[in-house]
Amino acid sequence: MTDVARSPELITVIVDGRPVQVPVGTLVWDACEKAGVFVPVYCAHKKLDPVAVCRMCLVEIGTLPKLQPACATVASDGMEVRTRTEKVREFREGNLEFLLLNHPLDCPVCDRGGECDLQDFALRYGPGRTRRAITTKVHFNKAVRLSDKIVLDQERCILCWRCTRYYDEVTGEKELVLQERGVHTVVAPFEGRPLQSMFQGNLPEVCPVGALTHAQYRFRARPWDLRRTPSVCPGCSYGCNLNIDTRETEVVRFASSDKPEVDDGWLCDRGRYGSGDLNRADRVRSPEVRLGGPGRSMAYSEAIEAAATALASVISEHGRERVAVLGTPLMTNEEAFVLQWLAREVIGTPHVDHQLLPWTDLSPAEFSLGIEEIEACDAILVVGEQAEATAPVLTLRLYKAERKSGRRVSRVPGDIEAGEAARRIAGASRVGVISHERDRGLAAQVAAIAVASGASVGRLTITVGVNGRGCKDLGLLPNYRPGYVATAEVGLHGRGILEGCQSGEIRALLAVGPNPAVEAGADLDRACAAVQLLIAITPVRDAFWRHAGVVLPGRTIAEKAGTVTSSEGRVQTVRIAVHPNIAVPSEVGLLAGLGACLGAARPAPTAPAAVLEEIRTAVPSYAATAGGLRAAWGKLR
Amino acid sequence: MLPALWAVQDQFGYLPSAAVAAVAEELELVPSEVAAVSSFYSMYFSHKPGQHFVQVCRNVSCALRGADGILAHLGRVLGVEDGATTADGLFTLEGTVECLGGCGGAPMMQVDRYSYEDLTPDRCDNIIAALRAAPPVEPGRDGGPGGRS
Amino acid sequence: MADDLVLTRLVGRPGVTTLEGYERVGGYLGLRKAVTLTPEQIIDEVKSSGLRGRGGAGFPTGTKWSFLPRDVFPRYLCVNADESEPGCFKDRYLIDELPHQLLEGVLIAAFTLRVSHAFIYIRGEYRAQRELLDRCVAEAYEAGLAGRGILGTEWDCEVIVHGGAGAYICGEETALIDSLEGLRGQPRLKPPFPAIRGLYGSPTVVNNVETLSNLPFIVLEGGAAYAQRGTAASPGTRVFCVSGHVERPGNYEVPMGTTTFRDLLQKAGGVWKGRALKAMQPGGGSMQILGPQHLDVPLDFKAVADAGSSLGAGALVVMDQTTCLVDVAKRLVDFYHHESCGKCAPCREGTYFESQLMHRLEAGIASESELATLSDICANMDGRCFCPLGDTATWFVMSAYRMFPDEFLAHCGAGRCPVRAARPAAA
Repeated sequence: MTDVARSPELITVIVDGRPVQVPVGTLVWDACEKAGVFVPVYCAHKKLDPVAVCRMCLVEIGTLPKLQPACATVASDGMEVRTRTEKVREFREGNLEFLLLNHPLDCPVCDRGGECDLQDFALRYGPGRTRRAITTKVHFNKAVRLSDKIVLDQERCILCWRCTRYYDEVTGEKELVLQERGVHTVVAPFEGRPLQSMFQGNLPEVCPVGALTHAQYRFRARPWDLRRTPSVCPGCSYGCNLNIDTRETEVVRFASSDKPEVDDGWLCDRGRYGSGDLNRADRVRSPEVRLGGPGRSMAYSEAIEAAATALASVISEHGRERVAVLGTPLMTNEEAFVLQWLAREVIGTPHVDHQLLPWTDLSPAEFSLGIEEIEACDAILVVGEQAEATAPVLTLRLYKAERKSGRRVSRVPGDIEAGEAARRIAGASRVGVISHERDRGLAAQVAAIAVASGASVGRLTITVGVNGRGCKDLGLLPNYRPGYVATAEVGLHGRGILEGCQSGEIRALLAVGPNPAVEAGADLDRACAAVQLLIAITPVRDAFWRHAGVVLPGRTIAEKAGTVTSSEGRVQTVRIAVHPNIAVPSEVGLLAGLGACLGAARPAPTAPAAVLEEIRTAVPSYAATAGGLRAAWGKLR
Repeated sequence: MLPALWAVQDQFGYLPSAAVAAVAEELELVPSEVAAVSSFYSMYFSHKPGQHFVQVCRNVSCALRGADGILAHLGRVLGVEDGATTADGLFTLEGTVECLGGCGGAPMMQVDRYSYEDLTPDRCDNIIAALRAAPPVEPGRDGGPGGRS
Repeated sequence: MADDLVLTRLVGRPGVTTLEGYERVGGYLGLRKAVTLTPEQIIDEVKSSGLRGRGGAGFPTGTKWSFLPRDVFPRYLCVNADESEPGCFKDRYLIDELPHQLLEGVLIAAFTLRVSHAFIYIRGEYRAQRELLDRCVAEAYEAGLAGRGILGTEWDCEVIVHGGAGAYICGEETALIDSLEGLRGQPRLKPPFPAIRGLYGSPTVVNNVETLSNLPFIVLEGGAAYAQRGTAASPGTRVFCVSGHVERPGNYEVPMGTTTFRDLLQKAGGVWKGRALKAMQPGGGSMQILGPQHLDVPLDFKAVADAGSSLGAGALVVMDQTTCLVDVAKRLVDFYHHESCGKCAPCREGTYFESQLMHRLEAGIASESELATLSDICANMDGRCFCPLGDTATWFVMSAYRMFPDEFLAHCGAGRCPVRAARPAAA
């Protein structure tokens, strides 16, 4: 305590009689929060610059005669803040009367009902009765379709400016602006042009009322009927945290969850509105064995045994090296780890991968730059368009680095000459090089030039799929064992495996689906049809399901427990948000069972938590990742 | 931005949306930013007004000296309601306007860029007749430089 | 007392709106003298003159200038010619009559503050005045009084006349700056104040037309000569815009402090038609009402404040015995409702609510409880809005209610305006 008091950066603010210590430059609003005093706000937002327009946060400060906006006033040492005085109470009541004056009374049909700050504060601080004798409200347009994703109700808008500031400060796109003036002011796009942004889904979340709503979620649920599960966005490998809101067995929506180091509170529309994929109707519901005959539904244990028997006979007939194992970047770390164990330790094949392209010349440097560290680089070079196209939220971080920290961001095409690309970052002492894994070769060259010129260089490589990074870290690769330990023998990579299926070199394939990384770039169907034995674990009726001799139902990411590793190496937890069928074993369980039937020397654990313990023992860089920390392979030099 | 919008309005009499987009392009902004600005200021028109824009000040000083009567009179003479444009497109009558800084000659009105002060119904008739006959009218002692002292 | 005049002493001289005519009567001698002085010497003269801002707030000009951070460049000067306070028409008059006097003042301030660009922000409605200033600026450039190497010195200064487009709020200095930058003219959060971070993020001084028009005299004759006029607390002269129910409405320059409201009213010919004075509003539409009992209050910053109002922007609206104060208040409230920029909730919604209530009250259909609501919402606006517009939108109506409670109450439920009903048909 005495140490803290002596620190020159801390000041003491007294909030409602309670002293609290905050750093110099802290806003009164934040000081109140730190003191545990809630101050209602509409316009203020943690991620946006203060504007003090809603006035809801006015409080008494010291001896100042006027009430002051807590959201925009910088605290000073010894400042006395009072939030519970009669003056503040009266003003809050009056201000809510103002805000409700032209607000429609349509809470019963408003999507926001139940999670609306206007409703909540009106109840808590509002007048509780109307005294308007006025019959003429100012009317505006309702249910304006701003795009296929967003609906705007101009009447419900309380003009807090959050959406326009979001578009100005966070995305820089300025698609929504304030138009007209005074009580006729509205939020609107230019001449009704549909919104184009990749980040529209954040609008209803910054909106404190029911003015901006999701078209997808319109009239679908009430917040009190939803169950919320914190998880990780399955859309890509960037690692945005989110909440999966479910109603019974249906995923109703994804809501953002602020992880400042990663997503900074934002989601992209592809990730957010991809939630519908988790409600696909074409699910694989029960195990099925079709070996040499018509498909038969079976119990799990029987299906696993049938699969093991068929696999064993291929091995004894053709040898272990004629078996291949293909995972998917949608697997959890635990699944990936058990799958590579099954391939290497039980089946004994080197042919194991999770994606199409070979992953060679790995250097820890390509994962050295954390997302948060982007803002600390003097210059940032984005190589190729694929990184931002794959992980759109990266674009927001780059814009923030430019706007808030004044960093230089350059974008170069993926086919540029390395020397020319390097010229864009010449002279900077701390450099960030960002690319998609497809462009990692060029990114490595550029980084090497920058290092040679004396710059300290960090690289961020965007991997495929939600857990492409984890699959690589944990050895679901033909050339690396867990922890990037090179294998003695290099097996076939994804494309080689599929070609082998067609040529007959591979006789049996154990595949986990769905695999977007593979489906996108190969004639998967032909390979699956050609291979002698296909054992598939998949939640949906994909190519694996169509051609498999044995099918075991898999789970979607919303039904899994475990961890996934983002591109920057952050090991984050996914939790079970929906239970489609409690009888379905986890993939980890299925794989362990398969291993046992194949006569594994040592049984694999079947609980994800136990697998994670094994991973932490086997892969030192995963030892200290609990709580969503980064697995560090190399630091910014 | 304001001078650019003025240039457009001086040419077209209002701000056509294509011109707003063109201003945005010229100033390297997105069109919505220009719309945000143009809609804020009361003197930019999104629709073409009459050839002569007749603004009758009804703020306090003018009201105290009979501005309501002047507006009503002009409405009768022009045959339009406050805020409307005559059928021949010659006049738009506007009775909601900021104080026009002519309180010393109240009641007053501004037609296009010129002020006309110390209005009486007769004077209004003469001004309207003159504007009808030979627009634009050169202002006499009323307009432009030469407000009262 | 013509010798006492400062601002209007040259009004009406032949050709004085041209450069040639203005120079013939001693124009630009102030600027010629200024460039031989140091900025510090000029600031000292301005401080000793006691000149206070004429835009409404009455802040001492020399002090305002000294807030500029040392050695931070570029700096800008913005001239506030966005006059739009109801009842104010002095800036238009000073521009119409003596445009070069303003320009000379602008250049003196620009030299003193070492600004690179001076912007004259003139309201859009003053189109003719904008064109006149454009012409004068062109003359000044031609004569080497503006632009590069002014008067043979090393000093460069560009002068730009910028037209507004109809928004009262742009008279607020930070809204003016935003408007000048090409944005919606809405007030900015303060701090930072414009002197630290204003136009384009640079140190900026915003001064009113009348304030700057005083500078040629102050530089030429000295701050002490200026301070001889008026009183020690309210030095100098001031142009008052007298309008409403008087025989000779117009602009009158009088020394401050030594002149009373009664004197000013007399200059304007007294209340018209031989009627009695009911009320008057000094300072412009924003300010509180005064009554006949205040006629002998001197035009002094403090004395008027003590009387419960303010000299504001230097207006005086006179209302005779037949005036309905509810009607006057309604018009002012409508004005603020129309001009509210919409940025903050209490002003945007409050002026709307106020306006609705005032219309009901004026029409005689409001109840007494609505009158109580009116007082209440005004209390919720005053001092709680983002900028002074919303605060001042309550001042006249509340002060009128306090001074004439019976008149307001008589409107409640009367079904019509009782004052108008009692008025003789001829009035």
